[in-house]
Amino acid sequence: MTPVIAARTLAKWYGNILGLSDVSLEIEPGITGLLGPNGAGKSTFLKLLTGQIKPSIGEVTILGRRVRGDASLFSRVGFCPEQDAFYEEMTGREFVTSLLTLHRFSAAEARSRAERALAVVDLVEDGDRLIRAYSRGMRQRLKFAQAIAHDPEIIVLDEPLNGLDPLGKRKLIRLVRDFRGEGRTVIVSSHVLPEIEALTQTIILIHQGKILARGDIHDIRDLIDSHPHLVSIRCPDPRSLAAQFLADEYVLKLDFGPDGRSLLVETNNRDRFFSRLGRLIVAGAVAVEEITSPDDNLQAVFDYLVGR
Amino acid sequence: MTEYLDSVRRVFSVFWRLGRKARRTKFFFLFSQLPVAVALVIRLNAMFSGRTSPTGLYLFTNIIMFFYLQMIILVLALFYGTSVVSEEVEGRTLPYLTTRPLPKSAIVLGKYAAYTGIAAGMTSLGVVLSFLLLNFDRPAAALALPTYLGVLVFGLVSYGALFTLFGSALKRSIFFGLLFSFGWENVIQYFPGSTQRLAIVHYLKSFLPAPPAGRFAFLTFRLEPTPPGLSVLILGLVTLACLALAGLVFSKKEYILED
Repeated sequence: MTPVIAARTLAKWYGNILGLSDVSLEIEPGITGLLGPNGAGKSTFLKLLTGQIKPSIGEVTILGRRVRGDASLFSRVGFCPEQDAFYEEMTGREFVTSLLTLHRFSAAEARSRAERALAVVDLVEDGDRLIRAYSRGMRQRLKFAQAIAHDPEIIVLDEPLNGLDPLGKRKLIRLVRDFRGEGRTVIVSSHVLPEIEALTQTIILIHQGKILARGDIHDIRDLIDSHPHLVSIRCPDPRSLAAQFLADEYVLKLDFGPDGRSLLVETNNRDRFFSRLGRLIVAGAVAVEEITSPDDNLQAVFDYLVGR
Repeated sequence: MTEYLDSVRRVFSVFWRLGRKARRTKFFFLFSQLPVAVALVIRLNAMFSGRTSPTGLYLFTNIIMFFYLQMIILVLALFYGTSVVSEEVEGRTLPYLTTRPLPKSAIVLGKYAAYTGIAAGMTSLGVVLSFLLLNFDRPAAALALPTYLGVLVFGLVSYGALFTLFGSALKRSIFFGLLFSFGWENVIQYFPGSTQRLAIVHYLKSFLPAPPAGRFAFLTFRLEPTPPGLSVLILGLVTLACLALAGLVFSKKEYILED
């Protein structure tokens, strides 16, 4: 398949600070998730991709054309930026309509497209309110609406699920997945693994400005699952709970919290551990108040993957 | 070319609407009408004090025009001109414009035209009102009004272009704009010889009729006016050069938006 987006030896420095280093990749139609912790270089890559900044080295092309200096390309690209920034004195409807006007649509066409885009994100009724009165979730949906209103082939979404409530997230995820069915190319960045997992199977792992891994999310998941995992369990009797796991080979370490009411378990097989814990709870063998995962964040996974 | 002008027109229409709704426009509208209040005070004072005052045209030329020419249009052009680019960078709304199928220089030109239009509208209203207040009993004086309006609008166009360039190229554009407006422009224009020709205001003042002698004449004092034709040419060139440079800088420069 022809790559829609291609980056060749792409690098970006902000003064002495490395934003992105030696990135070469090709992105094909479908949904590609850009996954990495905050500050990994995801936004830098997307800014390079949308021509907002210049590469220090290398080049990035969309549909075989260099991005910077080719404004006509943007009739085929929709971009939803990460920052929560708007023309606050506009209404939501004016915002989307105005940006459509800049796409050379006639006034009537811009209005009708804006209505459609607002309908997609459930903002038709609030369309005449000033943006400054919008909630965070509404603002996020409005950003998405302006990115899709001109019906682009390529949609670039920078952390689009930030600030959305669970229902809003589900709806947006469904919308983005629908785009794949229409043969479009969607690039979506996030620092939250389950969000990316819900959107796509094709992911690019980015960390400290470098592409760490690329491919099917299940392969990455396997890597992640083999990462020794910490689980903290708050319960009235952590010692008897610990006794239940002593003989299990997938439990590597047991530790007690200083308050005497929590147990810290290190396991190399999360699924088996949680399955056993679930059975114990259901059987009434243990009482559990709270289960948390102190290292269940992307940074821990990345640290593990880069061998730190 | 038609496509480029269409892009400018589209940007203009968006920011003409947005600019008129902006909060700062309400503030600048009141600011630009301050001379109207001054004219009203002068008029009322003349009516009720019974003292003989200088003619309305004299007061208009030497006080009201002074306010507009050396303060109000500078402030309006400075804030509107620099904001063409800097408000997009500081407000982090720049990606909404730069990811549209528009030449970047058309964004600058369209916004500049919209904001200059708004500033010119506010200024013209204030000038007409204050002129009428001071001269309503002398309809013949109205013949001079188009010249005064033209000078101020030309001033907004030229200063606006210069400050648009400041806004696109400099980080602390307001600071440098203030230095230029109230430092350079206010001093250089009073230098003898050809030095005075390095100030925009010199060419603007060259269009005005010679101020009659009197105790306020020093306010609009001019040394050696440049012929009007040459003034138009120089101001036009300054405007075109500044806009072309602003468009070029905006197209090439990388703006890093603060998180």
